[in-house]
Amino acid sequence: MMQCLLAVCLLLQAQAAAPTVPPEAQAFLQDGIEAEKRHDFDAAIAAFRKAADLAPSSSIVFYHLGGAYMKKGDYAAAIPPLKHAAEMNPDSLPIHQMLGFALLAAGYAADAIPQLEIAHEYGALGIAQLQNGQPTEAVANLQAALAKTPGDPDLLYYLSRAAASLSSQSLDKLLSTFSDSARGHQAKGQTYFGMKLYPEAVKEYQQALALRPDLPGLHLELGQVYAANSAWAKAEEQFRLEAKLQPGNAEAAYRLGEALLQQGKMKEAAEELRRSDSLHPDMPETLYSLGRALTSGEPTAAQQAFESVIALEKETPLAAQAYLALAGIHRKQGKTELAAHEMEEFRRIQSATNTPAPTAP
Amino acid sequence: MRKAKACLLVLLFALSSFAQDAKPRSDAVFRVSSLNGVDFVLRNSPTSLKYLIETMPGGVALLDYNNDGLLDVFLVNGGHVREPMRSPFSFDRHDPAYWNRLYRQNRDGSFTDVTEQAGLANAGDTNYGMGVAVGDYDNDGFPDIYVTNYGKNILYHNNGDGTFTDVTAKAGVAAGGWSVSAGFFDYDNDGKLDLFVTRYLDWSVETSRTCGSAKPTYCAPGVFPPITNILYHNRGDGTFEDVSVPSGIASKKGHGLGVAFADYDGDGFTDIFVANDVTEQFLFHNNGNGTFSERALESGVALTSDGKMLSGMGVAFQDYDNDGFPDLLVTQLPHEPYVVFHNDGHGTFSPQELEAGFGMLSGKSSGWGVGLEDFDNDGWKDTFITQGHVFDNVEIYDSSLRYRDPPLLAMNRNGHFVQADAGSDVPVAGRGAAFGDLNNDGWVDVITTSLGDRPQLFLNREGKLHWLTITLRGKRSNRDGFGARVQVNGQVRFATATGSYLSSNDKRLHFGLGTAPSANIEIKWPSGIHQVLKDVKADEFVTIEEAASP
Repeated sequence: MMQCLLAVCLLLQAQAAAPTVPPEAQAFLQDGIEAEKRHDFDAAIAAFRKAADLAPSSSIVFYHLGGAYMKKGDYAAAIPPLKHAAEMNPDSLPIHQMLGFALLAAGYAADAIPQLEIAHEYGALGIAQLQNGQPTEAVANLQAALAKTPGDPDLLYYLSRAAASLSSQSLDKLLSTFSDSARGHQAKGQTYFGMKLYPEAVKEYQQALALRPDLPGLHLELGQVYAANSAWAKAEEQFRLEAKLQPGNAEAAYRLGEALLQQGKMKEAAEELRRSDSLHPDMPETLYSLGRALTSGEPTAAQQAFESVIALEKETPLAAQAYLALAGIHRKQGKTELAAHEMEEFRRIQSATNTPAPTAP
Repeated sequence: MRKAKACLLVLLFALSSFAQDAKPRSDAVFRVSSLNGVDFVLRNSPTSLKYLIETMPGGVALLDYNNDGLLDVFLVNGGHVREPMRSPFSFDRHDPAYWNRLYRQNRDGSFTDVTEQAGLANAGDTNYGMGVAVGDYDNDGFPDIYVTNYGKNILYHNNGDGTFTDVTAKAGVAAGGWSVSAGFFDYDNDGKLDLFVTRYLDWSVETSRTCGSAKPTYCAPGVFPPITNILYHNRGDGTFEDVSVPSGIASKKGHGLGVAFADYDGDGFTDIFVANDVTEQFLFHNNGNGTFSERALESGVALTSDGKMLSGMGVAFQDYDNDGFPDLLVTQLPHEPYVVFHNDGHGTFSPQELEAGFGMLSGKSSGWGVGLEDFDNDGWKDTFITQGHVFDNVEIYDSSLRYRDPPLLAMNRNGHFVQADAGSDVPVAGRGAAFGDLNNDGWVDVITTSLGDRPQLFLNREGKLHWLTITLRGKRSNRDGFGARVQVNGQVRFATATGSYLSSNDKRLHFGLGTAPSANIEIKWPSGIHQVLKDVKADEFVTIEEAASP
């Protein structure tokens, strides 16, 4: 990120306010600029230093000296001449910008912030604020920077970090201030679930539900904890409660269908999965599970579901699974050629998307 | 046909000393105890270096080695693993603590250790023990024992006088590398039992390594190269020929752990299923001409329904839904249900684990030994599975999992399995399981092995329904009748002692008859002879000799 911003900054060097340079220093200044062009930064620094000795009040000379240190990668050494330049020429935005970059690159995020604010350099400012523990401000400034340069990978990276930090900060506040609230228990439940500490997660969700049984999402999340632990009957119970609370929630219907499927309740599973598909059509996972639920009882409908998965997914591992399932249906019907064709497709996609078998836990 | 009344034996065992420490629960199917007189401990010697062999033993066999009508117990031990193992390797199998053990069952249900007098002590210092297969390979009427090892396997010929002789060198069945489950069967229907040996990995002490990020643990099998299985053809003169290559068995490399036999397509030749760990499963179709074609993928048994590799470990190959075709039940690691491949009747299978109820029954444990046996004699084969994770420190990696788990018992209700009380919630690192009627009461019992523990006896608490137990005596077919298709009142069993994990079952065929007081028996022998017996009285032990002609 710093390399990128530095390049932009140095392009602006010429735009920096340029008070007159005394004639005795002009030659050294020119030598330094030429050395920079040759990427001989040590020679450039030496020349700018001589110019600075001869013109201690010239902000442009100190600006160039700081810039040469920046190009050399010695950010800490760049800070004093840039600060001196800024004192002499406090209205120069490029000087504040480069000083802000230098401070940020050297790890002085708090000191960089005012410089970058003056320079209206939102991207670097957002990064400095993120590093200074101000994620709210960081998110706003990084979003502003991204509005100007959409798709910048550095800015996107820092924005995601800032958003995560803001989320974490909000969660910390929730847990410290409202630990015993339903949301507090829900947040703790999510954390335990992420750590695979299932009994602890269940306990938190149950406490949340005791406080606010009508809170949307709680039954769904608790059900997922049970599902991860292969406790399908309990998962079904929770997903059913969520589906009752949110009859229009396609995910609740899908999860309920999946829990029923795992228990071998194929007809009920198909019913819920069809309902989920009607609420949110063309979800490949829903259609795949629907196909599995229908394979034994309604093979033609199952075939349609698997074909829909293939149409949606095309070359993904889920499409490969659908081909395998189709092969099974054809095999059972004695359609060996069709089954062989589906198996070929399964093999083709599988080999293209194959992930190596696990070698360690 | 010879019959023996069960009542005397039942009376005898009512006073028996099987259950030493059992307090049966009211709804439990089994009374769980140790075996009286059995002091065997499965010593796997876990080390911090996590040699993979440590977590894989050990087998158990139920056999009547002295033909006294009582099942005896043979247990395979692991060995002493040093930290680190240095060449020349020794697993200290000369030390009695690491011997395999043969326990003779006494009339009162207790057991006597006859290992030394039977000539079965000291399985060789360079052999780390794994599994056991039992079969009468020379048709002399006495069951022989084949022990698999990491190292060299051993064939013990039963001399018929209570002793065994190590005939491995003469027979030519030592194999080598890391052998796991094995089984006797007659693949060419020549009346002589052949031998199939699964092998797990191309692994050695020298190439061993640990895996894991948090703390060292055992590596998944994918870290080590796959290896071929072995098929030995019985020449009939006490020697075997390795036909792995010409038969096509060696054309496939895998990570074999379990093996089971059945004629899945009804062509009269016994086929082979190999449960592979994180490799596609193998279904070796017997072409009837001495060769096999591996057909797992096109038959629908290579992968899970979602196209994933199974961590196949144990396997049962019997008909669970009474449609006359042998189905497959394969145990595997947690987070996926144990897999049921339903035989659709024309040489292909469909995944049916969810329909069969295994989505509810499994997913939290690793399964090993497995059987499809009718424990409540209602005419439907139930299942019993030993459980326990591979990693002895699995909790570090997934706190929802446990190294030790109790076994799973599930009763079959018209093709759907429902969890039942096995009689014990005590978690163990379960591995082997052998199934048989230990006390000859007409109700199937189970013996299990657990790492670092004594074997457990799950003694069936009986009920009121009827049963029939059949001993086959082949004439043109192999004497054990292995490979015969036996149908009793519509139920089918395929005669075999092979299945489960590392273990060998009671070779007798047990049928629950429900409320039926009699049975019609139909046998299709490997020789092709078809034999029918009508109105056979229930609650009997029946020996059926192969008819001279169809």
